[in-house]
Amino acid sequence: MKTIKTFIFAIAFTIVSLPAFAAENVITVEVNGLVCDFCARATEKVIGKQEGVESVKVDLTTKHVLIHMKEGHTLSDDVLTGLISDSGYSVSKISRGAE
Amino acid sequence: MRFLFLTLLALCFVAYPAMARPVSYPGGWTLMSMNDGDAYTLHWHYSPTARYSLGYKFEYQTGPDLTFNGGQLNILVNRWNKPDSQANLYLKSGAGLAHSSKGAYDNETAPAGFVGLSADWEDRRFFTMYENRIFSAGEIEMSFTQKARIGIAPYIGEYGDLHTWLMLEVRHDPEGDKKFVAAPLVRFFKGTNLLEAGVDTEKKALLNFVHRF
Repeated sequence: MKTIKTFIFAIAFTIVSLPAFAAENVITVEVNGLVCDFCARATEKVIGKQEGVESVKVDLTTKHVLIHMKEGHTLSDDVLTGLISDSGYSVSKISRGAE
Repeated sequence: MRFLFLTLLALCFVAYPAMARPVSYPGGWTLMSMNDGDAYTLHWHYSPTARYSLGYKFEYQTGPDLTFNGGQLNILVNRWNKPDSQANLYLKSGAGLAHSSKGAYDNETAPAGFVGLSADWEDRRFFTMYENRIFSAGEIEMSFTQKARIGIAPYIGEYGDLHTWLMLEVRHDPEGDKKFVAAPLVRFFKGTNLLEAGVDTEKKALLNFVHRF
């Protein structure tokens, strides 16, 4: 009986945790200065070149750059701030987790 | 006309001075062709960083019937990034050779160069721009020109949509036959391509194209 309880707990924990692990792979960066397609393209190109980046999506309305990382990869806040600066823009906020 | 020009110029300075994006992202190439009643130009440049670009410039000036071939350096002096807007100040300079096909200097070639400031401010609805330039080709030609623009986007699109801008450009050439020329134009902007078309008050066409890759 104890084994069954442990097994059920393990399954439940895994199911509950999966979205959290998946969400860790999503980084949202709020960027100042994003006003046109050229700006969007610049951030897309610079961030998209980084190892471990699966996709980059820019939303000009919210000024958000949404970065999907490959499993086991991440980009630190310092690195992201540097990349956005290299693109010609500045970071307002970085958040990690659900989109 | 002078009042209109000065008003536009004042608006540009009040809003922030800046210019028309002659610098791309690190590793980015840009092809720009600007054509109006005063000149036809082709500028192809590479940006090692987002702070400057280097490239080739060809220019044909209709007034003095002169061609220029040379290198151009564009420097982003400063950028002001705000949550909903952006402003830029650029320094543009070039050096090369000018060849004249007119008057006393017909078929003469001389070292030539130019320097100018360019400033712009824009958000997703409004656009203002001012730029000036001093061009010198020794005895063949010496000129100072400036231009200003205001623009409005009738609708706001997302990244990748076709963006449309309605703009008014005013050019000032103190030594020209017509000191002030105005040109209403429309700008289409999609992804990495920008196209502008208009007709100025001298009934001459304006056609500009920019592609980033």
